Amino acid sequence: MSDIQEATNKLLDVNLHENQKSVPVTKENGTKNESEHLHITIGATVPTGFEQTAAGEIKEKLGSSCKISKDRGKIYFDISVESLAQVHCLRSVDNLFVVVEEFKDFQFKQTKEEALKDFEDLAGKLPWSDPLKVWEINTCFKKKKTKRKKMSQNSNKEKIDNGQGDKLDGRDIRGFTDSALDSHILDYYENPAIKEEISTLVGDDLASSKDETDEHLKEETAPQVLKFRVTCNRAGEKHCFTSNEAARDFGGAVQDHFKWKADMTNFDVEVLLNIHDNEVVVGIALTEESLHRRNITNFGPTTLRSTLAYGMLRLCAPQPTDIIVDPMCGTGAIPIEGATEWSNCYHIAGDNSPLAVKRAANNISSLLTKSQVKESKSSWGLPIDAVQWDSCNLPLRTGSVDIIVTDMPFGKRMGSKKRNWNLYPACLREMSRVCRPGTGRAVLLTQDKKCFAKALSGMGHVWRKVHTVWVNIGGLHAAVYLLKRTPQAFVHSSDQEGERGTPW
Amino acid sequence: MKLLTHNLLSSHVRGVGPRGFPLRLQATEVRVNPVEFNPDFVARMIPKVEWAALLEAADTLNLAEVPREPTEGYEHDEDFLRKMHHVLLEVEVLEGTLQCPESGRLFPISRGIPNMLLNDEETET
Repeated sequence: MSDIQEATNKLLDVNLHENQKSVPVTKENGTKNESEHLHITIGATVPTGFEQTAAGEIKEKLGSSCKISKDRGKIYFDISVESLAQVHCLRSVDNLFVVVEEFKDFQFKQTKEEALKDFEDLAGKLPWSDPLKVWEINTCFKKKKTKRKKMSQNSNKEKIDNGQGDKLDGRDIRGFTDSALDSHILDYYENPAIKEEISTLVGDDLASSKDETDEHLKEETAPQVLKFRVTCNRAGEKHCFTSNEAARDFGGAVQDHFKWKADMTNFDVEVLLNIHDNEVVVGIALTEESLHRRNITNFGPTTLRSTLAYGMLRLCAPQPTDIIVDPMCGTGAIPIEGATEWSNCYHIAGDNSPLAVKRAANNISSLLTKSQVKESKSSWGLPIDAVQWDSCNLPLRTGSVDIIVTDMPFGKRMGSKKRNWNLYPACLREMSRVCRPGTGRAVLLTQDKKCFAKALSGMGHVWRKVHTVWVNIGGLHAAVYLLKRTPQAFVHSSDQEGERGTPW
Repeated sequence: MKLLTHNLLSSHVRGVGPRGFPLRLQATEVRVNPVEFNPDFVARMIPKVEWAALLEAADTLNLAEVPREPTEGYEHDEDFLRKMHHVLLEVEVLEGTLQCPESGRLFPISRGIPNMLLNDEETET
């Protein structure tokens, strides 16, 4: 019996109200039957300000409603554990965790000693077993993903499993920690173009799973005790203890309870203790590195998080066949996210810097390479192109673009505040020219809010500000502005153009 | 550079205005990349396309399949849609030039990326 199972078994004993199986769990999938109907609460961290757009994505893709926490940047939703693979495919979330327990109104004791003692006592009373099962399943995905990554370089085998992807092991691995689920995690990490078949296949595969031992789990689990750490985030003014103290004391109790080893850097289980005023949430992390850098292989100095790029795109509600342009694309984070998630639109990435355009083109090629590996056909294209241009002088037909989405130079790491005074008005004007009157819209991210407001103030006849999202970019307080293009046709300021207000 | 992109590009040399469209295409290296066929996408994109410009570009690249104009009831003509899908999305110009029809200014296309930057004199206010 693996140590994970030993630990889990202990917990099954602890939780008296749970449906206990007296099955001696030598086979992993002994827990399969009850796990199939396991419903859990997942917590997700999202870019602050984009909680609503993330909730929209989750509703759309998983059918679950979200609860948005007062603790900014966190949302919660319920799923059945079969949907775990799909959760990893969400594009608006940075990090995921499974909720162990949530306390809406935790009554902290007045003194530090008493408050911390409460945390110590808490550790033994929490319903750990289901969340730990979820953690187990999740860990298997990740381990197989790393192994798969190494093997995919040499392997040519394509054992078809319900029509999905590569089975690189000779062994037919069945069971709950399942290969079909794996290949979907694989898809997520290695092929951004996710197909709709996922949920059907997961269902099918679970139904057809045989009772076999999952040798993998046993093999890959270190024959040692689990290592863990506790991460505490605390916000609020009335607490009489620090996050470090809470983490330390809670962690101590967790260690006593499970007999795990504490290791701050090289851990298996990360227990989260999130405290926001009187709201306390205990969770177990499901992601290590954040999901947000997924599309970009060639970074630039100010590459935007993919989750933020996704949120911005979602804000402008792209319609099929919309022409979506990023006139200052940098490494192309936004158009690339667009091309993978809204492949029924057409995306153009443009920048004046040859280096930026080159990086963007490389990132696009990497995308194509990934889909090549999966489909094992000749290189497939995506509806995206790159152009080198000047955003103040766009070589685009008037009124031909439906959506403009861009991350404007903040003037901190890129450009300068002084330059922005000229750049912003010129850009906004040119954007209003190429944007389709009436239906066009723009979503613009900037930290230089003052400059932006001034530039926008003279353009009320073409741009109408509809919505502002306040976001935090690397510690800077930035804003995402959603603008609608008014129905008024663009009027060229000089006669030389030969056309007055006629969109062509 | 795909032909759909070419259809949107226009010369912005000072004083040229709408006469800067369409850019004359000349290609020395072209590649065909299969792209997943989405009939709905193609059908809806056709009204947005400047047909004459597309035709001219396709002719330059010797894409024999392009019809002179959209046929009646094209939305349901899969054959037609597949041809247009190929022309708009699957043909990529890797090396070549784009020329402003009014000023004659040449813009190079290198590694699939057109460089539309003008120097200061050409854009000076």
